[in-house]
Amino acid sequence: MRAAAVIALVAGFGLLVQTTLFHALPFGFHPSPDVLVVVCVFLGLHRHTVGAALGAFMLGYLQDAASGSPIGLNAFGMVVVYVLVYLTCRRLWVDNLVSKIVLVFLASCVKAVAVLTVSALFGAFNGEWGPTPSSLLINAALAALIAPPLFGLLNGARLPEGRVAR
Amino acid sequence: MEFVRRNRVLLTAGGLLLISLLLSSVSIRSQPYRDPIGQLLLDAMAPFQVVFSWMGRGVGRVWSGYIDVVDARRDTQQLHEQVAALQSELLRLGELERENARLTDLLAFRSRLQGVAYGAHVIARDPGPLAMTLTIDRGERDQVRRGMAVLAPQGVVGQIAEASHTAARVVLLTDHNSGIDAIIQRSRARGIVQGGMDGSCYMNYLNRDADVVAGDRVLTSGLDGIFPKGVLIGEVVDVSRRHRGLLQAAVVQPSVALDRLEEVLVVDATAQVVEPPA
Repeated sequence: MRAAAVIALVAGFGLLVQTTLFHALPFGFHPSPDVLVVVCVFLGLHRHTVGAALGAFMLGYLQDAASGSPIGLNAFGMVVVYVLVYLTCRRLWVDNLVSKIVLVFLASCVKAVAVLTVSALFGAFNGEWGPTPSSLLINAALAALIAPPLFGLLNGARLPEGRVAR
Repeated sequence: MEFVRRNRVLLTAGGLLLISLLLSSVSIRSQPYRDPIGQLLLDAMAPFQVVFSWMGRGVGRVWSGYIDVVDARRDTQQLHEQVAALQSELLRLGELERENARLTDLLAFRSRLQGVAYGAHVIARDPGPLAMTLTIDRGERDQVRRGMAVLAPQGVVGQIAEASHTAARVVLLTDHNSGIDAIIQRSRARGIVQGGMDGSCYMNYLNRDADVVAGDRVLTSGLDGIFPKGVLIGEVVDVSRRHRGLLQAAVVQPSVALDRLEEVLVVDATAQVVEPPA
């Protein structure tokens, strides 16, 4: 319960920061690192339960609802990320900081590609809009950059049971 | 059942992927799609978003203020550099203006002379107290020879004492070795203007009964074969008449500021003043 509360708090805080604070910063460009994808990667790494999969879906759903994008797009991307991280860490030992940072970077890219693919599949993306590859990579790099402190916060949510339900 | 139990996470994820695709399909194709959960979430998040937006704007203002300060500092630095450059330019233009005025005077003076005359720049001065000389940047290469007169628009400067190939030394009229045949403009009394050992200038060999008073202008007589006739030498500031003897002397203030001279005219013995000083 405590774990779910911490994750929900971090996710809620991340969503707020992502939708408000980053856009108000006057740096000449608006960085929008995907904070929720970091939470999703954390779930994929440390929480191997049905609840965690539902949590990943909810993260994407919340993002869709808050950002105004078609419902289901980010949810799809988050579940894809969760599944990939889940499968990866079942086969590879991913428990040091550098590999986690790399994983967040890749997960952010994978999620963006998944969202664009589904958009294109259903005709919402006709190629005239959408993130440029450079902005996509920049945001993925920023997400990787904020991953260590976020993982630090989320580690409070790691329960003694650790990984369950392989 | 065992398969389902072992792979329940993946099966759940697969189901969620399908649901996501279904939702995406519905919400993309049936615009505007009203999502009741999304609306509830929007309402719940709105107050927090207001607070975070306010915080973001606050951070933005602080950052903008910092950037403004940095910009202002850079602008100030640039303005300081511009002011320094403009001051330097102003100084240069002032110098050019003064040089232009001096050369204009020299040219006007040159137009009052008939005969050969060469313009020259003063390039050095004698640092010693005994010899009153200066060096100009014209020499034998430019037809400047020993004995030629050196003039300025204000009057007599001196004469060439020696000339090398590219430069020449000028003995000033205040040097004790200098001697110029001169007359008082008002009374036409004749004498010799010589330099003193103290850097002053005297008109010697004036007849005792010659009419000389302070304020009289002293001109070249033209009889020495060096200086053209009628060029201003200076002004009498004092007359010294002894109780005995046949002669008297006058102290003369040179009309040329010899210590601030920068350009001069070198003229030969054939030169003549077309229009004498008023």
